[in-house]
Amino acid sequence: MATSASRMLLLADIDEPGLCTLDVYERRGGYQALRKALQTSPEEVLEQLKASGIRGRGGAGFAMGTKVSFLPKGGMDKYLVCNADESEPGTFKDRELMQKNPHSLIEGIAIASYAAGTGRAFIYIRGEYVLQADILDGALREARAAGYVGENVLDSGHSVSLIVHRGAGAYICGEETGLLDSLEGKRGNPRLKPPFPAIQGLYQGPTLINNVETLTTVPSIMAMGGEEYAKLGVETSTGTKVVSVSGHVQRPGNYEIELGTPSREIIYDLAGGPPDGRQVKCWFPGGSSSPVLKAEDLDVPYDFNSMAQAGSMLGSGAIIVADDSTPILDVAMKVAKFYRHESCGKCTPCREGTNWTVKMLERIDEGEATPMDLDIMASVQEHIIGNCLCVLGDAMAMPIGSMIAKFREEFEAHIDAARMRRGLNGYAASEEALAAQGVFDA
Amino acid sequence: MPRPEPNTITFTIDGKEVRAPENTMLVDAAAMGDVEIPVFCYEPKLGQPVGACRMCLVEIEGIPKLQTGCSTPVKDGMVVYTQSERVKTAQRSVVEFLLVNHPLDCPVCDKGGECPLQDITFGFGDGISRFIEPKRHFVKPLELSPLIAIDRERCILCYRCVRFSQELSEDYQLVLLERGAHSYVSTFDGHPYVAPFSGNIVELCPVGALTSRPYRFRARPWDVEDAGSVCTFCPAQCNVTLTVRDERALRVLARDNVDVDDGWLCDKGRFAYQSFHVDERVTEPLLRDGGQLRPVSWERALEEAAAALGRAGAHTGAIAAGGTTNEEGLLLARLLREALGSPHLDSRRAGSLPLALHRALGEPRLQAKVSDLEFAHAVLVLDAEPVDDAPILDLRLRKGVRRHGTQLAVASARESSLDANAALSVRFAPGGGAAFAAALAAALGAPGDGDSPGVESLARAAGAEPDAVRELASLLLEDGGPDGAGAEAGDRAGSEGAREIVVLWGERLTAGPNGAAGARALLGLADALGMGEVEGAGLLEIPAFANGRGLREAGVLPGVGPGLTESTAPGGGQTSAGSSAQSDPRDARGIAEGLAAGELSALYLLHCDPLRDLPDTELWERALAGATSVIAHASFLTEGVREHANVVFPAETYAEKEGTIVHPDGRLQRLRPAIARAGGSGSMRAEWQVIAELALRLGLDLDVLSGATASQRLLASVPFYAGLTLEEIAGRGVRWQERDAAAAFPSATLERGARDGGELAPIPPNAAELAGHRSVWDAPEVEFSPALEFLYPRAHAVLPLTYVGGEPA
Repeated sequence: MATSASRMLLLADIDEPGLCTLDVYERRGGYQALRKALQTSPEEVLEQLKASGIRGRGGAGFAMGTKVSFLPKGGMDKYLVCNADESEPGTFKDRELMQKNPHSLIEGIAIASYAAGTGRAFIYIRGEYVLQADILDGALREARAAGYVGENVLDSGHSVSLIVHRGAGAYICGEETGLLDSLEGKRGNPRLKPPFPAIQGLYQGPTLINNVETLTTVPSIMAMGGEEYAKLGVETSTGTKVVSVSGHVQRPGNYEIELGTPSREIIYDLAGGPPDGRQVKCWFPGGSSSPVLKAEDLDVPYDFNSMAQAGSMLGSGAIIVADDSTPILDVAMKVAKFYRHESCGKCTPCREGTNWTVKMLERIDEGEATPMDLDIMASVQEHIIGNCLCVLGDAMAMPIGSMIAKFREEFEAHIDAARMRRGLNGYAASEEALAAQGVFDA
Repeated sequence: MPRPEPNTITFTIDGKEVRAPENTMLVDAAAMGDVEIPVFCYEPKLGQPVGACRMCLVEIEGIPKLQTGCSTPVKDGMVVYTQSERVKTAQRSVVEFLLVNHPLDCPVCDKGGECPLQDITFGFGDGISRFIEPKRHFVKPLELSPLIAIDRERCILCYRCVRFSQELSEDYQLVLLERGAHSYVSTFDGHPYVAPFSGNIVELCPVGALTSRPYRFRARPWDVEDAGSVCTFCPAQCNVTLTVRDERALRVLARDNVDVDDGWLCDKGRFAYQSFHVDERVTEPLLRDGGQLRPVSWERALEEAAAALGRAGAHTGAIAAGGTTNEEGLLLARLLREALGSPHLDSRRAGSLPLALHRALGEPRLQAKVSDLEFAHAVLVLDAEPVDDAPILDLRLRKGVRRHGTQLAVASARESSLDANAALSVRFAPGGGAAFAAALAAALGAPGDGDSPGVESLARAAGAEPDAVRELASLLLEDGGPDGAGAEAGDRAGSEGAREIVVLWGERLTAGPNGAAGARALLGLADALGMGEVEGAGLLEIPAFANGRGLREAGVLPGVGPGLTESTAPGGGQTSAGSSAQSDPRDARGIAEGLAAGELSALYLLHCDPLRDLPDTELWERALAGATSVIAHASFLTEGVREHANVVFPAETYAEKEGTIVHPDGRLQRLRPAIARAGGSGSMRAEWQVIAELALRLGLDLDVLSGATASQRLLASVPFYAGLTLEEIAGRGVRWQERDAAAAFPSATLERGARDGGELAPIPPNAAELAGHRSVWDAPEVEFSPALEFLYPRAHAVLPLTYVGGEPA
């Protein structure tokens, strides 16, 4: 039910039957962008990428052109890795892109590898994406046969080998350095940065790592020109973005929007808003690792900087909506348990902090907590943020911290209600709050 | 390869200006200004920092987030805070996180009192825990191996042990299983962690998670004293600290000496201290009486020994081995030469070399240091297996390859544990080392010349492929080698001048009928590779016996006096005793033949059981049976001593004795008594004292009244030790080559022709000398240490390739 505004570049032809085959893709103008790129110099392609202003679509939002230009020049082995380990809860945009339009990604990789001078490329796809990996493999065979990847692409002298590598199911392997370790055949643990992958990445070689969506956008940028692309969106967040909307909305799915679109339009106009009679209680604007926003934040424009100003982040571009039927404790528990399960265990604050947080939430639910535990929990989150080896710890601490800050009264009521169910004294929660917890129902 | 020479810069830490070498990690740079940044996972010996524990977070001006001090290289003008509220909060929180799952069972933990976690908790923690939930539980303690217990509840997952196994010893056995808060250290499939260097993880562990099973519950830190010494269980002579309680050694720890051991120990060095205190130790003099060795008084034993030696006179032979000190060797040589008029003594395993070759091989310019193994462009391991001959060098070679891109080549008679790290491995037949070295010298002399006549025939004589010899030569001569082995190495060589090449060779190369040819071939290699002119290049021998080098320099060689001088005492022809055949100095094998033939009658053994330590058991069986009297200094009654000795004097272990030893690279190191001699008061005597007493009874006053005088006599006897004092040698030791007195070394002028391969005897068909590779693990101190006994090797034979191939050479 997407409106025209929701189908611009990436999703424009997405439902075209057979788009995943080379035949249909080429008929739709596929691989023209690659031909165009190869006729210019790598520097020119890089200029286009820089001019486009496109920021990484994986979560960190780092400008792609700048990242490419970090790769040292020279004849050493350089690598391009496409991060297709789409594991952030609520995010399913890359899946659709790879499943329905794999050639666009392959074309994007071919162009990016030309610009970055990387002769070897890998797509690291999450192991659960069996269908998508099979489709990619098939598309890759076609692209190789047609000379779009491999030795001497389209007689341009540029060569790039491309391999689809299937992960084995760990969230941490979506963290770029963890991904590299995993790709090298090691346990997927994040590495210390610096050195950054652009300097020392895969097999110690300079490595460009980009998300599926970013690379899939590259052919569009080449086709329309970087400056033209930059006219889409807003100043610091150019272009379009595929947003995965899920949770309590009537029409969950992927929607392509121009960055800067008011969030309310995405949640209500495109995704249909919460079920009738329900209100938005809180929403994650960028996957489960972004701090939650409340209903009053619905008018924040959906772009990188506005989200940061609102105290959250665009992240992977996955909006998860929870309506007022959802206890906040359940939301917190779900998030905390996920990150505890996925913490690699390498650094102390994340390993112990995620584990401790879950234990405290469980204590709240079992009626063994006091409001003081909320202070401890909040302080634990503060001690995690910024002190970890990678951002996984922050990914739990930021949303949990935001929930405690924004829904403290509800947590307190939950504590009291759970205590009273156990026959213990409550603390300060109001009767109203307790009623909302169903304390008086029985 | 250039050793790092960093700039010195100035940075500010907590308001103090501190000077430090540029790019030192902040943790180390801070220490130079007396600022402590607490760490758990950081250990520079393990290579690159991992930044896992997050204990070392500091605030740096201009960087918004706190940074890990262990991984941030210090730069000029950097401004660092370790005491700001932000940093203190981070430190308190990391300690709190670490203690979330730590059992805090300090009162029953071996580590208590010497525990970094305890210290840092007191120093940087909050003193309270807000964690009231149940902690993580594991079954504990478990045997990680027969030597190590693991308590997973105490583990703070700092990764040190796993990194040691994966990146240092490269045994790849320890791994981290599961993830997140469920992570735990284990071997992959739960098999015991048995590896030559496994014990190091106990010392690396910053908590009580990995403990030594032999040491568990034996002492608390405040019960014990530390005593520094040097392990003499093998030629590597690692520096150690003994943990002593009530005059017993309870533990051995590494005493980090970057020029010797790099701070690591092998499991033998770490656990064989148990053999100091077992019932099998000989702790009093024994005399053969009615076919049995029985304890007797010192007076009786000395009397019998002196009488036996007096009767034999010039018909006495002597062999010193094992951890015999330089002083004991010197006194033994004087006893033999001056009191008995016998020139027959040796400290080499098999075969003597002409004095000129000893001098040429000992030439100071040609001597490589241990650290050269790490920084050389290329290292050739020649007829040696470091992990069996001098284990700790195995780690140093791996480090060079891993961290500095050293090209490693291994040429040996059997598979080597270093093969996987080597750019090239070449095999030759057992006993073919000398011929192989000669072939290599020939190939180096005529690089690229496929037709150089010697290479083909010498390689075949060695049982090696001629092409492999040429490939090795080209690897040593220029970069590239097989498959361009490392462009990285090429970059380095290009930026530097001369190529630094070290040849690490085993004494067996110069043993046997082709020993002299092997020595000449080595000198040919040194010539061809220009070692004498290149700093950082050279030869490094692994002697068969722990103090092999020291004993030779002290004059325990046939016809050779202290300082590799020509021995003029007896044997020069003008001795009082016997025919010229008897006065011709005999080497170890000559002594055996003399005893077997009745030409010699007495044998004096210092730390040597010929049946165990010397080749040709059959000959030695006859020799010992033929000897009228055998006097032995021994710690254990191994077969040869038990069956054949007439008088046994209890031998001191390194922990009990006083004296000096010489590392294979020329470093004089000092032993000092760490524990009282075994057997209780007066039961044992110092060995130098025993030799001096025997000499006195035989009419020679050696004029040594204390261990220190014995050392002074030694330092005065060897011209190139002149000027060294015991005080200097203590601590880290001193390489005599680095002192002015080294000029006094009696350099040999060998004619060029004498450096060629020369005449080679064909490898005899029985060259599969079964004991040719007796490893340091095959020793009584391993056999008699209860904890190590499981490592005592089973006998195995190595057959010459010529037999395997069915084609006799």
